[in-house]
Amino acid sequence: MTRIAARPPLLDSVPLGRRLLFTEPRRATLTVLGVAAALLLVLLLQGIFAGAIERVTYYIRTSPADVFVSQLGVETMHMSASALPPDTVDRVRAVPGAAWASAIGYAPGAVSGPRGRQLSYVIGYDPTTSRGGPASLVAGRAPRPGEVVVDDAAADSLGLRIGGAVAVLGVPLRVSGLSSGGTSITNTTVFVGSDDLARLRGVASVSYILVRAGGITAADLAARVRAAVPGVTVQTREQFADSEARVVTDMSANLLRLMSVIGLLIALAVIALGLMTATLSRLHDYAILKALGASTARLAASVAVQVVWTVALASVVAAAVGTVLAWVLPLAATTIQVRITAASMGQLAGWAIAIGLLAALWPLRRIATLDTITAFRESR
Amino acid sequence: MNAPNDVPRHERAAPAPSAVTVRGLTKAYGRGATEVVAVRDVDLTIVSGEVVLVMGPSGSGKTTLLLMLGALLRPTSGSIVVTGRDGTRVDVAAEPEKALPALRTRSFGFIFQDYALLDALTAAENIAVAANLAGTKGAAARQRALTLLERVGLAHRAAARPTELSGGEQQRVAVARALANDPPVLLADEPTANLDASRGRDLARLLRRLADEDERCIVIVSHDDRLREVADRVLWLEDGRFKTVTDLFIDPVCQMPVAATGPAFEWAGRSLRFCSAGCRSEFINDPGRFRITTGGQPGAEITGGAGL
Repeated sequence: MTRIAARPPLLDSVPLGRRLLFTEPRRATLTVLGVAAALLLVLLLQGIFAGAIERVTYYIRTSPADVFVSQLGVETMHMSASALPPDTVDRVRAVPGAAWASAIGYAPGAVSGPRGRQLSYVIGYDPTTSRGGPASLVAGRAPRPGEVVVDDAAADSLGLRIGGAVAVLGVPLRVSGLSSGGTSITNTTVFVGSDDLARLRGVASVSYILVRAGGITAADLAARVRAAVPGVTVQTREQFADSEARVVTDMSANLLRLMSVIGLLIALAVIALGLMTATLSRLHDYAILKALGASTARLAASVAVQVVWTVALASVVAAAVGTVLAWVLPLAATTIQVRITAASMGQLAGWAIAIGLLAALWPLRRIATLDTITAFRESR
Repeated sequence: MNAPNDVPRHERAAPAPSAVTVRGLTKAYGRGATEVVAVRDVDLTIVSGEVVLVMGPSGSGKTTLLLMLGALLRPTSGSIVVTGRDGTRVDVAAEPEKALPALRTRSFGFIFQDYALLDALTAAENIAVAANLAGTKGAAARQRALTLLERVGLAHRAAARPTELSGGEQQRVAVARALANDPPVLLADEPTANLDASRGRDLARLLRRLADEDERCIVIVSHDDRLREVADRVLWLEDGRFKTVTDLFIDPVCQMPVAATGPAFEWAGRSLRFCSAGCRSEFINDPGRFRITTGGQPGAEITGGAGL
């Protein structure tokens, strides 16, 4: 007797999976939209978080300083308090390779306006040098004694205007100018003169020292400062921004992860239900294919193709809607910034395909146990 | 063994190679007191180019036999040896489970009662997908589909979906699909059940032509007496066994074979048997309308009629 040889792999064949998926356009559309909605939820959550991180680190990333010096053990501004001895500024300034070094004061607190109150970083700097101050002013001028520069987004939401009154750490000041990019979903950033900050806090101290490198790299400068000024924490700008992003991420990671998992679980359920109902409605077709000689693996491949098509289309829809919302949402709510990148979309699509294939196990189990004799029974 | 049905009836100048050889085929469902034997120790030899029509009452084991012949159902015992177009021989009953899908694509073409076309695909794609399953891909599969559609007279309907085709056209597409991989054996389950008389006759002739032109053997399971016209042999299956033709009467109303074991009806000195009370009532109401072929002798004119 002759043994039957294994068949070659299926390539360049009738696109069975795609055709089966789109036989019923309404069902396919609903499934794609359901998955897209779930993916959009996750995409927006991650985008809003990424936007918040970007805003939280905006002050550091746009600073002219290459190196930041803080109290020993303090690596961030968020959820931290740093205090350095006043003479540290001169010691750092004396380090070879330091073009300049400027001290800033820092206090977490709140600003209040006619329309409400918002958590804020209050930064005290030397307006005469502008080092450590806002990256740019979109309106007005740098603060003089008794004045403050407020972020434009916060000014909008709090009802502040240049020349108007605002309470910073409970003390009334006058708005002298508007900066930008410093307000996130969690807090805003305001700038006052160093003397005013000392007055507001009731104590004069240096919180951080900003150092500019002259003729050497930031890493080399950081190494030299560490060697010359022991007992402090020295980080390059990138390290400081990363530390800041990390502490915010760590604080929100569990919530973000939970929300993302919920979104992905919804996508999983939608894909599984969509595939299962589509499979159940076409069981007779699968039985016919089995009777004609289709192996379970080949039918599984056609189901996998349906998953990939569903997720790919859903990803495109989610990306398109997400991009539009990333543009529209900040217009409606100035404190919200949504940052959606190709990398985040690609990563999400990868996860979606993985969970889609997981969801496909349910209908596949039904197909695997499907009796070919079903093909011989009239079903229509 | 049911020896009388084991010999092909039609004569040829040179003996054709046997395409299917069945020995001691049995299928039992359940065990012990609940055991039901659907097919019992059947022997059958079908040669290339032969059309065999298997008839019998509902529940007689016809479909079970067809499913076993087509490697869709494992027999309890026995062998089914299929000779391929290249002369290779395979015992379907002995093949491992994982080899059966490939065996089905290459050895058998299936024609179903409800056509069993995939609505999602065009007529040509329905055929091409069957070719794909056997490893024929791309342009070769598409060309094969078009050639077969042309053969069944539907080349102009290649891009139509099954829902856009008439029942007769759908069944012709199904026949073309059954030929996709040039199998030595075609298995048809009630292929004319959903067709009107004219289309049923056309399909029967198409099957006959396929057997003659391709030296392909065709097994048809049906209640449709019209198919007797194209069959080389008509086998009567009852209680899982083939019955000899001399045990059969022909219902004068519907022309279906009827077993001699049922109640007889005497009319004008003749003994008649009917497949159902409906046919009997119809005959009683208007006996002049029907042609009596049995002459009161079991099987007397059946054997001289349609190849029994």
